[in-house]
Amino acid sequence: MGNWERLVWNQRDVLLAGFVVTVEVCAIAFAAAIIGGLMLCLMRLYVPPLRLVAIVLIEFFRDTPIFVQLMWVAYVWPEVFGFPNSFFNAGWLALALQSSGYLAETFRAGIEAVPSGQREAAFSAGMSQAQTFTRIVVPQVALATAPSIVNQFTVIVKSSTLISVITVPDLMSQSQKLVNVWYEPIEILTATAAIYIAFVFAISLAGKLLADRLRQRYGLAAS
Amino acid sequence: MRVFAPKPSVPISMSDVPSIRIAGIHKSFGPLEVLRGVSFDVHRGSVVSVIGASGSGKSTLLRCVNYLETPNAGEIYIDGEPLGTCVDARGQSRPRSLGEINTMRRELGVVFQQFNLWPHMTVLGNVIEAPIRVRKVSRKEAVEYGEECLRRVKLLDKADEYPARLSGGQQQRAAIARALAMRPKAMLFDEATSSLDPELTDEVLGVMRELAADGTTMIVVTHEMNFAHEVSDRVIFLHQGLIEEEGPPADLFGAPKSERLRQFLSKYRK
Ligand SMILES: Nc1ncnc2c1ncn2[C@@H]1O[C@H](COP(=O)(O)OP(=O)(O)OP(=O)(O)O)[C@@H](O)[C@H]1O
Ligand SMILES: [Mg+2]
Repeated sequence: MGNWERLVWNQRDVLLAGFVVTVEVCAIAFAAAIIGGLMLCLMRLYVPPLRLVAIVLIEFFRDTPIFVQLMWVAYVWPEVFGFPNSFFNAGWLALALQSSGYLAETFRAGIEAVPSGQREAAFSAGMSQAQTFTRIVVPQVALATAPSIVNQFTVIVKSSTLISVITVPDLMSQSQKLVNVWYEPIEILTATAAIYIAFVFAISLAGKLLADRLRQRYGLAAS
Repeated sequence: MRVFAPKPSVPISMSDVPSIRIAGIHKSFGPLEVLRGVSFDVHRGSVVSVIGASGSGKSTLLRCVNYLETPNAGEIYIDGEPLGTCVDARGQSRPRSLGEINTMRRELGVVFQQFNLWPHMTVLGNVIEAPIRVRKVSRKEAVEYGEECLRRVKLLDKADEYPARLSGGQQQRAAIARALAMRPKAMLFDEATSSLDPELTDEVLGVMRELAADGTTMIVVTHEMNFAHEVSDRVIFLHQGLIEEEGPPADLFGAPKSERLRQFLSKYRK
C-alpha cells in the first residue's frame, strides 16, 4: 500500500490539476462541437449554396483520424491560418472539429425524423417557418438526440487523452510525467485509468438517466 | 337618394359571401392529375361532408383549402378574401408570400387523421401554443380559453398529460381542442376517426356532432356514412378529382343519381 500512497495519493495535486485541464478541454470542445455541428447541419439542410461545402467538411471531420487532425490543427493551422495560438486551443479545436462532424449528422437525422405532420399542424395553426422550427422541430430533435449527444461527450473525453502529445497538461500528460519521474507505472497508470473510467461512466450514467426521464415523461422512443 | 329603401337588418354582402368558397381547384403531382376543377361553397354555420373512394383526392382537396398544397389553378376564398393571392390598392393581384399565407391559415382549424399533436408539450401546451405565438394573446387568456375548449371536447381532466399517455380518441379530441382554441372561422376534418379503433370512434364523432350543432362551419372528409348522413347540410361525392354528385344528404344517400355513387355506397351497406 505504500506505493499507492507515495505515487498516487501524495501526487493527488498533480493528478487533480491534470483532471481539471481534461475537464476544461473536453467541456469547451463539447460546447464548440454542438455549435459547430448545428451550423454544419443547418448549412447542409437549409442553405443550398453551402450544402456541398457542409457535406465536404462533415465527411472530412469524420473521416480524418483524430490523431492526424490534432497534429494538423496544432502544427499546420498556425502556419497557414495564424491560429490556434496555443496547444490548449489546438487541443479542444481538433476534438471539436471531429465531434461536430458526427453531431451534424446526428442533428440532421433528428430533424429528418420529425414527421411532416408535426410541421403541418403548426403551419395550419398559422405559425411561421421560424416559429415552427424553434417551437416544434428543435425541441423534438433535442429530445430524440439527447442520448447520442451525451454519448459524443464520452467520445471526446476518451479522445482527449491524445492531446498529451502536443504537451497540453491534461490528466494523461500529468500521469505520464509522474511515471517519468518515478519509473513506476503500475499504480500511477492504474489510478489514471480508474479516473477516466469513473468520469466516462458518470457521463454515460447521467445520459442514461436523462434518456429514461425523457422517455418516461414524453413517452418518446429511445434512440 | 333612395331614402325610403328598406334597410336590411344584416348587410347583404355579409350574409351572401360564403365562409369558404372553393373555386375551380386543380392540383397535379407530376403527371398525376388529382383534382380536376373542384368548386363548391361552404356557408357560415353549415357542414359539408366530402365522401369518395380512396385516392379520389379528398385529402388533397382539404390540403389545398388551407394551402398545405398549393393549387395549380383555382382559388380558395375565406369570407370572400382570396387565400393565395392578394389584390393591392391599384387592383393588381399578386401571389401572397408564405408569411401572408401563414396569416390567412389561422382562420381555418385543421384536424388530421394522425392527430399530429406535438409530443413535447402537454395537452394544454398544445392548445395554447398557437393562440400565444400567433394570435399573441396573453398566457392567462390563452389558458382560460384553452380550458374552455378542452371542456368542450371533455378532456379538461387530461390538460396536464403528455399526448403519448392518451388513447387515440383522447388525442384526437385534444387535437380538435387545439384547432378550436384559435377561434377559426371554419374547421376542416380529414378522416378524423379513420385511425381509431371502432370503440373510440364514437367519442370523437360525438364531439364533432356537438360542434356542428353549435353552428361551427365545417368541411368533413369522412368514411362514416351515417355521420355524413345525419350531420351534413350538404354532401359532395368526389370521383377521380371531380365532383360526381352533390346535394343534401337525404338525396345523395336516399336517391343517388350516378351509378358510381350507387356503387360506392353499396360498399357501406352490408
Ligand atoms: N404529395 C403527393 N405526391 C404525389 N402524389 C400524391 C401526393 N399526395 C397525394 N398523392 C396522390 O394523389 C391521389 C389522391 O390522394 P388523396 O390523399 O387526396 O386521396 P384520398 O381521397 O384522401 O384517399 P384516402 O381515402 O385513401 O385518404 C393519390 O393517388 C395519391 O397517391
Ligand atoms: Mg385521405
